Amino acid sequence: MSWVRYTLPAAAIVSAASPAYAVQYLSIEEAQKQAFPSATNFTEVQAGRVWKAEAGGKVAGFFVFDRVIGKHLFIDYAVALTPGGAVHKVEILQYRESYGGEIRSPSWLAQFVGKTGGSALKINGDIRNISGATLSSTHVTEGVKRILAAYANRLR
Amino acid sequence: MPIAFDSIRRARPLLGTFVEIEVTAAAGPETDAAIDAAFDAVARVHRLMSFHEHDSDVSRVNREAGVRPTRVDAWTFEVLEAAVEMHRRSGGVFDVTVAPALQAVGLLPGADGERAVVPAPCVGDAIELLPERIVRFQAPDTRIDLGGIAKGFAVDRAIEVLREFDVPAGLVNASGDLRVFGAAPHAVDLRDPRDPLRLLARIEMAGEALASSARRFDLMEGSTLGASAIINPATGEPAAAMIGATIRTSSCMIADALTKVVMILGTGAGDLLEHYGASALLVAADGDIQITSDWSQAVHLAA
Repeated sequence: MSWVRYTLPAAAIVSAASPAYAVQYLSIEEAQKQAFPSATNFTEVQAGRVWKAEAGGKVAGFFVFDRVIGKHLFIDYAVALTPGGAVHKVEILQYRESYGGEIRSPSWLAQFVGKTGGSALKINGDIRNISGATLSSTHVTEGVKRILAAYANRLR
Repeated sequence: MPIAFDSIRRARPLLGTFVEIEVTAAAGPETDAAIDAAFDAVARVHRLMSFHEHDSDVSRVNREAGVRPTRVDAWTFEVLEAAVEMHRRSGGVFDVTVAPALQAVGLLPGADGERAVVPAPCVGDAIELLPERIVRFQAPDTRIDLGGIAKGFAVDRAIEVLREFDVPAGLVNASGDLRVFGAAPHAVDLRDPRDPLRLLARIEMAGEALASSARRFDLMEGSTLGASAIINPATGEPAAAMIGATIRTSSCMIADALTKVVMILGTGAGDLLEHYGASALLVAADGDIQITSDWSQAVHLAA
């Protein structure tokens, strides 16, 4: 196996700035349908946060929307609970990422103000696939635990 | 009549990170079911191979396989077979029994708060793989961690599921360990291991897998910045020669495992890469970038 070497003085390396982006995976409505395909009715139990899913007059489960801070910005996610209060599905609704200078730019941050998880938001139409750094999902995992502690017993 | 395909993208928190599945397929219940099933495969790998979950196969063999032969799931066995072969072919550099060394530097939790004792590097057959998916450890204090290979295996299983559902094209990305399938090429951006705020290269790929390792950034809290999560089994110390490695090959499991070897061996891993039909991009501590000659055309450096 032969190698091609690229020797660059450290000062000369001007790699492209990784642009900030947000990936909108699902709106709240889409995520509700994904989690409970048979449900005919979603009733808001707590405004903007908890919905009861019903199918043919029977409770199919609960849908909880939440937001945690990721590396720098918010991650919107939803937990679908069974009628018994167990986790049925955890889905990321929107992932936002920012690096370097963008986070300090008020105009960049302003894009997020007033946005709810349901509003479509795309900074780059061309959503990138990135390799090279493992992002921790710890905060989402902790969020799911908090949701279970807060709602699992109350909703039943 | 031409069939209209949509690009559908989902993400779930699995394997301690965000696993993303993107498919090019007609939107509808069929495609939703395919994506759900692919995520289920990843979740199954998580359940079987997590070091942290008490009931995983990995936790079970760590408790029992040093004492008595222990049967594991077919998927766990398959990963162990690949790990043992990689161990042999890399002259012991790839070693899933480094768990105690990872515990010693705080990268894995210690068992019941006890101070992890780092055993001498394993010689030869520390892990015995017997018929009927039976695993036996030679020494009672052997502990394995499949964190360096299971993520890639999970990506491979998810891709397999999507294909079984006749999804025409797609991508599964477990936070940088990724694989694509389908006719159209995908462009993947590689983060600069010296500065994760920047991109080092854009890589074009089709029908293959890509995995990257780097000295860790500040993405995990409470750990020493800049230290490597990769332990050189010969020294028990974090690897220091390379600061980043990216591997391209057909299997994401193999790509994932090879990144660990290449972080330690650098360009010395040439024969091993050739055996696995893999290409590599290395970023050395002195800033040099080296790319295997078979791959340099597909890698567009940002500099």
